[in-house]
Amino acid sequence: METLRVEGLTKNFGGVTALNNVSFTVETGERLAIIGPNGAGKTTLFNLLNGQEIPTSGRIYFFGQDITTVPTYSRAHLGQGRSFQLTTLFLKLTVLHNILLAIQGTGAPRYQLLRPISAYKHLYNKAQELLESVALWEKREELVQSLSYGEQRRLEISLSIASEPKLLLLDEPSSGLTAAESADIVTMIANLGSDITVALVAHDMDLVFGMAKRIMVFHYGEIIADGTPEEIQANARVKEIYMGTEEEA
Amino acid sequence: MYLQSMMTKILVFAIFAISLDLIWGYTGLSSLGHACFFGVAGYTTAILMNHFGATTFLQTAPWSILIATVFAAAFGAIALRVSGLYFLMVTLALGQALFSLAWEWFHLTGGAFGLTIPALNLGIPGFTCTTITLYYLVFVVFIICFLLLRLIVRSPFGHVLQGIRGNESRMRALGYNTWLYKYVAFIIAGFFAGIGGVFFIHWNMLISPYQLGMLTSTYAVLCVILGGPGTLIGPVIGAVVVIGIEYIASLYFPERWPLILGIIFVISVMFIRGGIYPRLNSLWQKLKKRYSYGNTEG
Repeated sequence: METLRVEGLTKNFGGVTALNNVSFTVETGERLAIIGPNGAGKTTLFNLLNGQEIPTSGRIYFFGQDITTVPTYSRAHLGQGRSFQLTTLFLKLTVLHNILLAIQGTGAPRYQLLRPISAYKHLYNKAQELLESVALWEKREELVQSLSYGEQRRLEISLSIASEPKLLLLDEPSSGLTAAESADIVTMIANLGSDITVALVAHDMDLVFGMAKRIMVFHYGEIIADGTPEEIQANARVKEIYMGTEEEA
Repeated sequence: MYLQSMMTKILVFAIFAISLDLIWGYTGLSSLGHACFFGVAGYTTAILMNHFGATTFLQTAPWSILIATVFAAAFGAIALRVSGLYFLMVTLALGQALFSLAWEWFHLTGGAFGLTIPALNLGIPGFTCTTITLYYLVFVVFIICFLLLRLIVRSPFGHVLQGIRGNESRMRALGYNTWLYKYVAFIIAGFFAGIGGVFFIHWNMLISPYQLGMLTSTYAVLCVILGGPGTLIGPVIGAVVVIGIEYIASLYFPERWPLILGIIFVISVMFIRGGIYPRLNSLWQKLKKRYSYGNTEG
């Protein structure tokens, strides 16, 4: 089944073309990594897929439905979950409060005004399950700003999977993490169900080759290669403009 | 007698301040036009009594609160099209526009003189209201407003407001229609400000354009910032301090009150960031820790 289809997607910022006529499809259950040098348009693509920005032209279909101009919050209800490159947690709220907000975002009681949140036991059970899976349950009453960077990254990812999305968009999930912490992220992704489609943007090649079954290489807003990890490693053009520059640096 | 009157005023401004805190402290919406809804409620009561022959509290109060809420719904729809500093400017402009309207529309509002109303009449036969009746009435209403707002900030809805304060774009990615939450919070805040306004006019027996404008809005902002935004007890403490100091100042140097108000503002921003209540609370936590672990620490 097809989860995502992108047709002729273009995004201009003033005179700069961040994405230029990009088309691809993603099948359900795929593990897709999007790589490319800085400024290749990877984060712009995520912003268009998740609705933070609206494309200049082109269309986006999610399970066959045209979502090109659908607001971000509705995309969450349709089944998208997203993590951000820069940690975007609620720093002055507790760990538990953060995860409750994420669970409740697509749940029924989110408009309830006159009943305390503590009355919703199922939210707490789900929160416990999620926080235990990332070893943060013991720290549930701490403010997020007092967590270590690695803990914040783990919480960031749990927030994006709390709504049980069908498509998970992870933007640089391991940036700034140690190799061991990065390996934890690979395990987290590997443990996700095969009905969940995962697309991630990353510079961390251990993460990319650790989880991806398919890699897309972006360069100046265009897809220059799309294939299995083996194909990408063997691709001369990728070596030249992407891997090549990295080895020289 | 004077003390009773001051206590009533403190409670009125406490209701007004906690209503602002729902949007200022919990949602992170900095409004400088919150007095609109406070003043509109007061004016509605005065206009009903002066022009439409209403005589009792029960004839005027429900309409006053309703009209204030309707104004909040209209102003919120305008002001929430923008955010941050622009939101602050738009709410300020709307407040000043209402101020000018009340100032100019002499026939309806009495212009700069404002409107006066007679002493409180609850409309219960054989029952005469005194300032003490008003005091107890305001006290009960304050308790109800406080408990209702406490329920709201502890509900799923209230938790969402705090999430929006922390990071609105992330809240959208999590599935929240953040605009709707801000709009509803703005209307609820207008409703409670309207309740404050109704009791203000029964306490003051006079309403003037100043109750709509920036000066009165600033009072509520000061109570919130001084007491502790994002807590409900904080703004109540803020109201006690601000109205208390105003009372003392008006006894000894009434003409210096705006200067004193300015100084309190500067002091609270520079030295008690976060507000009085959070400071007291953290001090209390420290003391509790010291006494409960005192013997093990040696």
